[in-house]
Amino acid sequence: MLHLIRTEWLKIKPYRAFWVMVGLAVAIIPAGNYIAAEITSQIVNKTKELIAVAPYDFPLIWQSIANVNSYMTALFAIPMIILVTNEFTYKTHRQNIIDGWERREFVLAKLFWWLALSLLAFLTTVITALVLGLAYGTHSLSFENFEYLFYYLLQVLLSLGIATLIAVLVRRSGLAIVLYLCYIMIVEQVLVLVLKRNFGEIGGLLPLQTGDELIPFPVIGKLLNNADHYDDGVYLLMLCLYIGLMIFLVFRRMLKTDY
Amino acid sequence: MSILSLQNISKRYGAIQALSGVSFEVPQGAVFGILGPNGSGKTTLLGIVTDVLKADTGTFTLLDAPATARQRQRIGTLLETPNFYHYLSAYQNLQVAASIKQQSGQDIPRVLDIAGLTARQHSRFKTYSLGMKQRLAIASAMLGDPEVLILDEPTNGLDPVGIAEVRQLIQQLAQTGKTIILASHLLDEVEKVCTHVAILQKGKLLLSGPVNQVLVREDFVELSCSDNTKLMAVISQHPAFDHIISSQEHLQVVFKQPVDPATLNAWCADQGLWLNHLYTRKQSLEKAFLQITNN
Repeated sequence: MLHLIRTEWLKIKPYRAFWVMVGLAVAIIPAGNYIAAEITSQIVNKTKELIAVAPYDFPLIWQSIANVNSYMTALFAIPMIILVTNEFTYKTHRQNIIDGWERREFVLAKLFWWLALSLLAFLTTVITALVLGLAYGTHSLSFENFEYLFYYLLQVLLSLGIATLIAVLVRRSGLAIVLYLCYIMIVEQVLVLVLKRNFGEIGGLLPLQTGDELIPFPVIGKLLNNADHYDDGVYLLMLCLYIGLMIFLVFRRMLKTDY
Repeated sequence: MSILSLQNISKRYGAIQALSGVSFEVPQGAVFGILGPNGSGKTTLLGIVTDVLKADTGTFTLLDAPATARQRQRIGTLLETPNFYHYLSAYQNLQVAASIKQQSGQDIPRVLDIAGLTARQHSRFKTYSLGMKQRLAIASAMLGDPEVLILDEPTNGLDPVGIAEVRQLIQQLAQTGKTIILASHLLDEVEKVCTHVAILQKGKLLLSGPVNQVLVREDFVELSCSDNTKLMAVISQHPAFDHIISSQEHLQVVFKQPVDPATLNAWCADQGLWLNHLYTRKQSLEKAFLQITNN
């Protein structure tokens, strides 16, 4: 595995466009949450009697930041799509096999980036939460509710998994990015609404929605919570199954198809 | 040892049968040409051997064993087009290739030098001309000095000097005992550098074996005198006469065995015919190839 990572590093280290995209993704997490923290702290100041703990104060901050960031998983999915589709554009996916990688190794090398980018999103979020919590909070540091960040990590893994699957299926970066954004921004949202309206809470079991169900925004989420909501364990199980399914489908596609 | 052994390989793309039941062996130390017109299945065949394409039916062995990725690391391959990362320099691209082949990269300066790319090694691949890209692909195939090379149309995009250099390089490599599998649609390329040849047409193997057995080219004698009609009648009485290819301008006559021009000239004089043109020639390679593919 180390040799795969070393090779991927040789490919990507000088790739400036990729690092600019990743840098922006990393910068947007603290920037976006700073705006959210600033707004919510002003609301809390004006409504002290109604809301006891600010969303950007410990221990709610873990949930707040996980919720806000769950809308921004595309920031890391787009560089992931570009990494994968570049191989098809340059036909280097063929050359890697010709030069002596097994097809399985080619997929594993790409899954390294899937894991690395997801962990980068997770770590950036943890650091941002710590900094904002200490800056805006009145409560002392607490890791209560930290599980929301693990739910966020799983949602990023799933989102990047969907992006990788679309990338290996359509092979062209522009089309893959458009299809991915369409899916996360429109297709799944519409399906969730239609299913929830007609069949109830089963709509909450669609891939990315499982993560959304696990990470409602604090306070507001409670107000909107309905009685049909499944136990969190159900959403968690489905989320993990979807991640497994994406990885399985990526392997299946890349092991069987002509390069 | 058999370097590559194909058994009954078939591959279909939708309605097109790209390969049907192809079988042949590449012996060790051979410069093995895979010859065929564009679209005859050469690249498909090599794609299957390098695992970028999956055969519908049939099996093959590499270096006398079922093919694995580790074996491919020991084979230098250039398949169809030079495939490199556009944003990386030549040197960085070769570092990636060396890393996949699990080599240290020490050999990179040597292969860049052979390919004549040392001066431009730090330029990005996307700034390269077609010929330079092809040279880089050849350099990459030679990384680690592999014992077996698979070269698919290696002179594509090269200028005449480049073509001559690559042919010379292939011959030099062959002299050191390496096995080279060379796909080409260029007949003279195959004839100049190959010891063995397999001829593909529309996905079918027509013939395979040593070049001098597969591409048999008839010698013929071109002759003329003041009355070629009479010459035609007389020459058909020659004891070694076989057939006449053409009677336009000069008579082109094939004999059953080689005839000495001086003896033939004397024989014609004995028949009362004084030749004003006598020339021994070889049938063109194109004609020999067309004869094979038409049959």
